[in-house]
Amino acid sequence: MTWRGIDAESVRLVLGALQVVLIIALAPLLTGIMRKVKARTQKRVGASVTQPYYDLSKLLKKDEVISDQASWVFSSAPWVIFAATVTASLFVPAFVPFSPFSVAGDILVVIGLLALARFFTMLAGLDVASAFGGLGSSREMMISSLAEPALFLTIFVVSLTLGGTNLTSLVGAAAQLGTVIAPSMLFGLLAFFVVILAETGRLPFDNPATHLELTMVHEAMLLEYSGRGLAFIEWSQSVKQMIMLSLLVNLFIPVGMPLNSDAGIALPLALGAVAFVAKIMTLSAIVAYVETRVAKWRLFRLPDLLAMAIASAMVGVILHYL
Amino acid sequence: MIVSTVYSPILFILVFASFVSGAFLPLLFREGRKATLASFAPSALGSLLVVALSLSIITSGSAIRFSSPLPAAAAPLAMDFYIGGISAFFMLIIGLVTLAVSFYSVGYCAEYYGKRSVRELGFLLNVFVLSMLLVTAANNVFTFLVFWETMSLASFFLVIYEHENISSMKSGITYIVMTHLGTAFIIGAFLLLYFQTGSLSFDVFRTQAPVLPQYTRDLVFGLAVVGFGTKAGIVPLHVWLPQAHPSAPSNVSALMSGVMIKVAIYGLVLFALGFAAPASPADAWLGMLLVAAGAVSSLIGVMYAAIEHDIKRALAFHSVENIGIIVIGLGLSVVFMSFNLVVLASLALLASMYHALNHAIFKSLLFMGAGSVLFSTGTRDMNRMGGLVKRMPWTALLFLVGAVAIAGLPPLNGFVSEWLTFQALLSSYQVPNVALQILVSLAGAAFALTVGLSLATFVKLFGISFLSRPRSEEAENAKEVPRTMIAGMSVMACLCVVLGVLPFLGARLVSSSFGFDLNFVGSPSPFGPLTATYALDGLTSVSSMSMPVVVALMGSAAAGLLGFTAVTTGLSGKTARRINTTWDCGFGMLNERMEYTASSLSQPIRTVFKALYKPHTSIKREHYSDSNVYMNKSVSVVSETRDVFEAGLYTGAVRATESLFDKVRRIQTGKVNSYLLYIMVVLVLFLFLAGVVP
Repeated sequence: MTWRGIDAESVRLVLGALQVVLIIALAPLLTGIMRKVKARTQKRVGASVTQPYYDLSKLLKKDEVISDQASWVFSSAPWVIFAATVTASLFVPAFVPFSPFSVAGDILVVIGLLALARFFTMLAGLDVASAFGGLGSSREMMISSLAEPALFLTIFVVSLTLGGTNLTSLVGAAAQLGTVIAPSMLFGLLAFFVVILAETGRLPFDNPATHLELTMVHEAMLLEYSGRGLAFIEWSQSVKQMIMLSLLVNLFIPVGMPLNSDAGIALPLALGAVAFVAKIMTLSAIVAYVETRVAKWRLFRLPDLLAMAIASAMVGVILHYL
Repeated sequence: MIVSTVYSPILFILVFASFVSGAFLPLLFREGRKATLASFAPSALGSLLVVALSLSIITSGSAIRFSSPLPAAAAPLAMDFYIGGISAFFMLIIGLVTLAVSFYSVGYCAEYYGKRSVRELGFLLNVFVLSMLLVTAANNVFTFLVFWETMSLASFFLVIYEHENISSMKSGITYIVMTHLGTAFIIGAFLLLYFQTGSLSFDVFRTQAPVLPQYTRDLVFGLAVVGFGTKAGIVPLHVWLPQAHPSAPSNVSALMSGVMIKVAIYGLVLFALGFAAPASPADAWLGMLLVAAGAVSSLIGVMYAAIEHDIKRALAFHSVENIGIIVIGLGLSVVFMSFNLVVLASLALLASMYHALNHAIFKSLLFMGAGSVLFSTGTRDMNRMGGLVKRMPWTALLFLVGAVAIAGLPPLNGFVSEWLTFQALLSSYQVPNVALQILVSLAGAAFALTVGLSLATFVKLFGISFLSRPRSEEAENAKEVPRTMIAGMSVMACLCVVLGVLPFLGARLVSSSFGFDLNFVGSPSPFGPLTATYALDGLTSVSSMSMPVVVALMGSAAAGLLGFTAVTTGLSGKTARRINTTWDCGFGMLNERMEYTASSLSQPIRTVFKALYKPHTSIKREHYSDSNVYMNKSVSVVSETRDVFEAGLYTGAVRATESLFDKVRRIQTGKVNSYLLYIMVVLVLFLFLAGVVP
């Protein structure tokens, strides 16, 4: 399997590297698209889809204002968050059905790295001695301690159905199954969708567009960040969103995904990439639409939704065995 | 190194001599620094020798055996020792932790100068460590029980070291009652084996294990689980643990939580893999019992840790959680073994023992960190800490390493063992029994919830203790601890990093100790990926992860970001950093009383799981006048959460025992006449029995 005299392994490596660059570079665009869809469904014009890029470049140019209470934990957090999130994105198959690094990092490593980022976000919220930061960290503690198990159980379902935790082989197995969706996976999908809403701070869990102390979770932890630090965290947040949506699309909706045996052939790969873009746009439009249709839930109603996700994933596991 | 002397017990005798001199040397000195050095320098030396001894045994695959010469008549009372791979693995854990704790103690004991006897502490601590080592080396029932009991008593006296403190004394009493209850069950298990095999030697127990009748094996296994489970802190036998571990001096807490409960795990391993090893699929339920106990322990442990505001109690509850994870792995190993799935059994055992090693390391690190905070601030209440990251930078950094490790985050060691545990849980689909599969997946759900909650717990433990503003004067005036204490913690922090970044080292260590093949976890190169790959029914399950690569990629991501910012700031001109006060909405008087506290931070979790916690909240109001209840002079709210297991299971039992003894007491009238009557009645009874029974 060669392509214009270059062996397949090199092609895979190049495509994989390209994929990582695309994930990191296009993540803010996805955020912009979601904002645009949300604005349109709310009968607003909304900002341009490229607005997140302008925001990032503006933040990178600005001076930083740091709290006098902040320690090295606060100043190192954006670096840790960014490095962990970007490393996680290396292991995720998105445009092509493989990732050249997936031997080194499976889905558990991805989840672990995202959890590391969250750990430091919560600590940064507490570091500056502001009541807002504590409030955000406290709420995030509750949400993440319930979203994490739902996520783990979803992985349990996926790994049982498709085999193992290696992302390349999981996505390959999903492509092999094609459009036939196992009933266990259906329940897993339901759980994973709720987890995505929770993990990316979307309604009804958190409103990414507000700075109101009654509702904010993620924004409350970042309140003291400005300039470069804020830019890193905002960008990481977009990358994380891209990772989660890619996982959903590639594991649960393998329509149009090229098979592993096609991995060296240009046409199926290109078609697969187009299909991926179409699917992820649709999915982000759905998430944005859901955001318009639901209101922010009361904080203590959120565990109900997460418990539903946990139960759904559990049903998926049991269905798989029966 | 010392590999050549593997077959001689000289090294072992030197170890013995070091700890004995550590126990008795300080008695020659006056209280103070010299006595401290006289007890902890030998223990540091001894633990180094233990590390050397156990590593040489593990790497060479040999064993040491020796026994005390006694006449044949006294044979059951002979001391018999055998140090094979499994014993050596647990001795290595003891040695590593003791090494760090010895350094740490030199500084920590300064707190007690002039207040309490350091000589007693040094004596007890050395005896404690030595007895744990000898328990793992014991090769017959008598030796095992003698040192098991020595270990329990030494640790009891260490728990009540601050004996004028009523709560210390109370937790000591709970501890000694519970630990003896456990010992009774262990003796029961040994007695059953004795009746069955007619011997008290572990060698005979091992060889006879496969021919044990089914019901005997079940009973022995059950008794051992209760007995060792009490010592390990398996729910609901854990009630003593969150009381006793925090009451002890912090260096002792590190040893108790890091090591002593691992000795109980050693006992469990002894039975689960040796004396009552599974032989047929019918034994799978014994393993399932362990899995269930482990799942419940991990969940209950972490839930109580999440809402605790006493830093040492929170860590103690976390030990219950981690023991749960270890026991899940061990139980899975028994389940797989009973279906003769040898590869999977090895995977589960690897997960379990890797986690045992990791937990010993990060838990002792965290207890030493908590001890350092206690040393500097004099409080264990997190609501009185804060801002310590600036006052105690080294302690903060090392505690953070421990927190990241125990929360199971990459790239540290906790992640590796939790990854392996997850793989073991996942591979349970190969067990040909649907009921077992579903039960294991329920344990998986508990495990998932545990992982999520432990992350939250350690955000609280580190965030509230070390970050934001100091919440009390003590925290405001805290100073960094002496260098010896930092050195002790650094040893453990380095091990967290090494065992996390190079998981192959740990995997090799475990596999050569327990003598199983490591082929299933990947290539033999130290930097190769850790894998768990197997195929069944046409489904190939592929899992792999390579921590060195992940770390390298994280490093390059950070470096890339640095390059990126250098380029962008170069293009747009330099950006500056200004220091200003925290945003306070223009209020202008932000102070430490407006911060979140440990209790408020975990309040949402307490609300979500209130069905379990059953929190008691009492509100006390004082009014300016009794006629007007709307004008409050002061309002105070006390909200506390009690251990429901303690209240539900033990309070009733204690009360019943007390009332029974109250009734029994009535026969003791204090009159000589009635006692004479009792004697006569008993005498007649005995004569009668002697006459009737031939």
